[in-house]
Amino acid sequence: MLSELPYDRLLQECLKGELRVVNAHLPSKQKPLSDLLAEEYPHVMCRDGSMHLFKRRELKYLASLIDDEEQKALLLPILLEVNAGRGEVAVICQGEVEEKVIAKVLDMPVTPRQKKIVLYRPQLALVRKQLRTTTQYLFPPK
Amino acid sequence: MASRIQKIVKDRVSILILEFLQIARQTVDIKRQLLAEFAGTYKALSIAAGYHGYIALEKELIACEKDLGIAAGLRNVGGVRIPAFELKEAKGVVRGYSLVDTSSWLDQTAQLSEKCLETIIELAELQRGLELLGREISRTKRILNALEYLIIPGLQATIKYLYMKFEERDREEKARLKRVKVLLERR
Repeated sequence: MLSELPYDRLLQECLKGELRVVNAHLPSKQKPLSDLLAEEYPHVMCRDGSMHLFKRRELKYLASLIDDEEQKALLLPILLEVNAGRGEVAVICQGEVEEKVIAKVLDMPVTPRQKKIVLYRPQLALVRKQLRTTTQYLFPPK
Repeated sequence: MASRIQKIVKDRVSILILEFLQIARQTVDIKRQLLAEFAGTYKALSIAAGYHGYIALEKELIACEKDLGIAAGLRNVGGVRIPAFELKEAKGVVRGYSLVDTSSWLDQTAQLSEKCLETIIELAELQRGLELLGREISRTKRILNALEYLIIPGLQATIKYLYMKFEERDREEKARLKRVKVLLERR
């Protein structure tokens, strides 16, 4: 009954708009690191039609951390899921290669739980400093 | 619903502030680096000018003018589109001036100038990012404050008022029923 109220509808629209804005930059398709290294202008297309440009320096840094086979498995940009109200961020891992990369960037072992690596704010700052264009925030609608 | 929006907006603000502070720190570092590089470049240029003479140096430098290639794109941080620039890598190290007629001082000057250029481009990107993030933080904070101090308290007050009204109606209903019962008993 509550969702029928005009005020609630307004809030729902507001939430939808906010989620649209914060998640508009998500890539329509992630690309493997090996492919991006071969491109002249390494980029991915976003959901809103814009182009997300990767820094070649960062790609080379990532390539230096992992071997050739792992470069094919590492999909970029790496997604960082922001957990609402919990002050932490989770790295979405599709394989072991993300775990290896994050462990090397943080210089400490990390353990994924349910395909996610939990990062706290100081760790997040460190990851974002090293991987400014190769990581992206994701705000889940939950 | 309003609380959910508030949580998302709050998270967004904290992420934007984190990014803003990080970019601010990087900007300071890059500015320092640029000043040091400028100092080194001017020193090298003075030495090269002293070694070759201004006229000879100018003659060589006219020949090495070239177009600058910059790849420009966007990166998005929590809904803010920040420009990203990258200097196109030149194929080979042909600078245009004669290597036979010039000394290694000029090579060093050119090398340092190229480094300065890279740093300037990085600084431009960071400063623009800083401006855009600052603007977005103040905008999002206004939304957050409106939610926190206006919309949510307003909704809570409305809910409280409605509960009170319903309870009042319940009490009135009970009192009416009791009165009807008494009247029926009297008859």
